[in-house]
Amino acid sequence: MAPSTQFEAAQPPSDAISALVFSPDSPNRLLVSSWDKNVYLYEVVDGADEAKLVNQYEHRAPVLDVCFGANRDEAFTAGLDQQVKKIDLATGEQTVLSKHSQAVRCVVFSPEHSILISASWDNSLHIHNPSSSDPPITIQLPGKPHAMAASPSKVVVAMTARLVHIYDLPNIASALASGSASSIQPWQQRESSLKFLTRAVACMPNDAGYATSSIEGRVAVEWFEDTAESQARKYAFKCHRQAAPEDEGGGDIVYPVNALTFHPVYGTFASGGGDGTVALWDAEAKRRMRQYQKFPDSVAALAFSKDGKYLAIGVCPGFETGMENYSGEGKTKIFLRELGETEAKGKGAK
Amino acid sequence: MGKKKRGHPDIEEILARPWCYYCERDFEDLKLLISHQKAKHFKCDRCGKRLNTAGGLSVHMNQVHKESLDKVENALPNRQGLEIEIFGMEGVPEDVLQQHQQRIITNFYTAQAERRAATGNPPPGQNGQGPAKKIKIETPEEIKRRLAVHRAKVATQKAAGANGAVASMPADGQSPAQGASPFPPPQAGFSYPPAGAPGAPPFPPAQTYPAAFPPGPSPPPGAASAFNLPARPPSGAPPAGAALPQRPPYFYNGASAPPPGYPGSPSTVDELVAGAARQGDDIDQLIRMAEKGIKPGKGAAPTEEAGGEKKSKKDKEKNMRMVYADTEVSPEEKMALLPKYRFAIEA
Repeated sequence: MAPSTQFEAAQPPSDAISALVFSPDSPNRLLVSSWDKNVYLYEVVDGADEAKLVNQYEHRAPVLDVCFGANRDEAFTAGLDQQVKKIDLATGEQTVLSKHSQAVRCVVFSPEHSILISASWDNSLHIHNPSSSDPPITIQLPGKPHAMAASPSKVVVAMTARLVHIYDLPNIASALASGSASSIQPWQQRESSLKFLTRAVACMPNDAGYATSSIEGRVAVEWFEDTAESQARKYAFKCHRQAAPEDEGGGDIVYPVNALTFHPVYGTFASGGGDGTVALWDAEAKRRMRQYQKFPDSVAALAFSKDGKYLAIGVCPGFETGMENYSGEGKTKIFLRELGETEAKGKGAK
Repeated sequence: MGKKKRGHPDIEEILARPWCYYCERDFEDLKLLISHQKAKHFKCDRCGKRLNTAGGLSVHMNQVHKESLDKVENALPNRQGLEIEIFGMEGVPEDVLQQHQQRIITNFYTAQAERRAATGNPPPGQNGQGPAKKIKIETPEEIKRRLAVHRAKVATQKAAGANGAVASMPADGQSPAQGASPFPPPQAGFSYPPAGAPGAPPFPPAQTYPAAFPPGPSPPPGAASAFNLPARPPSGAPPAGAALPQRPPYFYNGASAPPPGYPGSPSTVDELVAGAARQGDDIDQLIRMAEKGIKPGKGAAPTEEAGGEKKSKKDKEKNMRMVYADTEVSPEEKMALLPKYRFAIEA
């Protein structure tokens, strides 16, 4: 069995990490967006246990999210400067695709439908067709979006007030083609299974469901299918907590679960929390498979490479209640874990 | 002759105690030692499984977590190796065993000598032949000198017009080692006869005892049992946790000296042990309590604490503390408002 190894990327961002993403067609290409206003492109070198910085792309403001586009040289970013941008990773050319009236929180690209969706704190989604120059379609949301994820056919948007909207991608694609924004309605409107503010959303690669996490150390797993049986299958569990020392009154210290990501091959998922740990879960068997050694700081973002060989872990200090200042300077790191053959393979439902 | 049992076990008893190779801690019996080793040294930090030996843990880590164990947790720096297979007292190398015994013996006699010096009790069999009880009594000359110094100080202050009479006498009446003494004598609270003979010049007021000073309390049961831990270097005494009733405060007569004969620098192993002892956790404390025969619920203070603990466990669910607790505003939104990140759109 190949032993699993872990290493750190050279030249990490100089401030907190907002997102990590691997290229869908080039498994060793990693994009990282940071609060230091840059997007970084790394290349993981197989067998050498290193990740080299290939390029970096400067923005006007902190970058809150990044995703790959249709090919390995296309990327989209969500900026605090309210812009959605397209970046040509080869030339470094940046194009502004749309402007929101508040910071843009998330971007997702659906390669199946060639649709780019951006979510902004102005309570709206912009639906782009990146291959045309038409202005994007705007969808109003009932709350501020905080997390968004796409599966092959669905987009899950988690908002304040525990609102979750699920949109159907084929429906959006046809609306985009006909240019009618009014025909886009949420496919499903749900209330989050978690009582607290949603922190992250991730969709199952098999298009069956999704997982959400909250600031209160909890993860919920749900299924898209709107039947009683499928909905009965949903569950939530506590994680990323630590027992407080008795002399501080005992009880639990509860950390936010900042990151979720599904393994593209095995369908298991990883969660990363403010406690600096990463755990691997088997959603089917409802079991924790592994918990990795504690990282020096809060885990801000996670991503599996598309072949499932690497797990990228973005580590930087977490923002906690009562903080008046924040800096991830010098403490921001990117760890890459090369997984063993069956390390992320679940045992299946019992 | 009074009771023989004084809470100071003899050297044979101490040497017979099983002890932990990894952290040099000793235990009442082998079962406790083994449970200590499983809890502190052979516990998997991934899943909490307790293994019997370091080798077992290594195999477990390898097979279950695909990770390799490189050292034994919570062990002294030179005892972290995995090569030696330890189970309870089995497998301890001969030289280490001898070193340990030597250390215990040395510590034992040092502690004994100290006790004798402190109590003034002669060693058994020598009636009154032992070293005299060390009470520092000032000679008239010394007293006079002190008074002169004090008067000079007061005079200078008066001359300077400072009304700091209070500030002038602090260190005078207090033993420098008070409270900080690493090895307070067991008969703490013993009041020395006033050093000033009748007719002696008046002392500064700081010399008198505080009004609330108890005339001569006998040490509480817990204090005695604190010294029941044999051969442990005094500085390494386990933290007086929930189990031990609070010791009474120590008052020294101004003229008395700090307890004599305390070995200045403990050997390095001793220091290491002391360090390890301070890291004692709940399990070890429980073991310690069991050893001392202190059952939770015996004595007023521990009962209260135990009760409190139970209560806190009951409402643990409510007792959680969230690291980030704003249910409306995300951390990113808060960060975006910091001047460092704020983005102002140019008109």
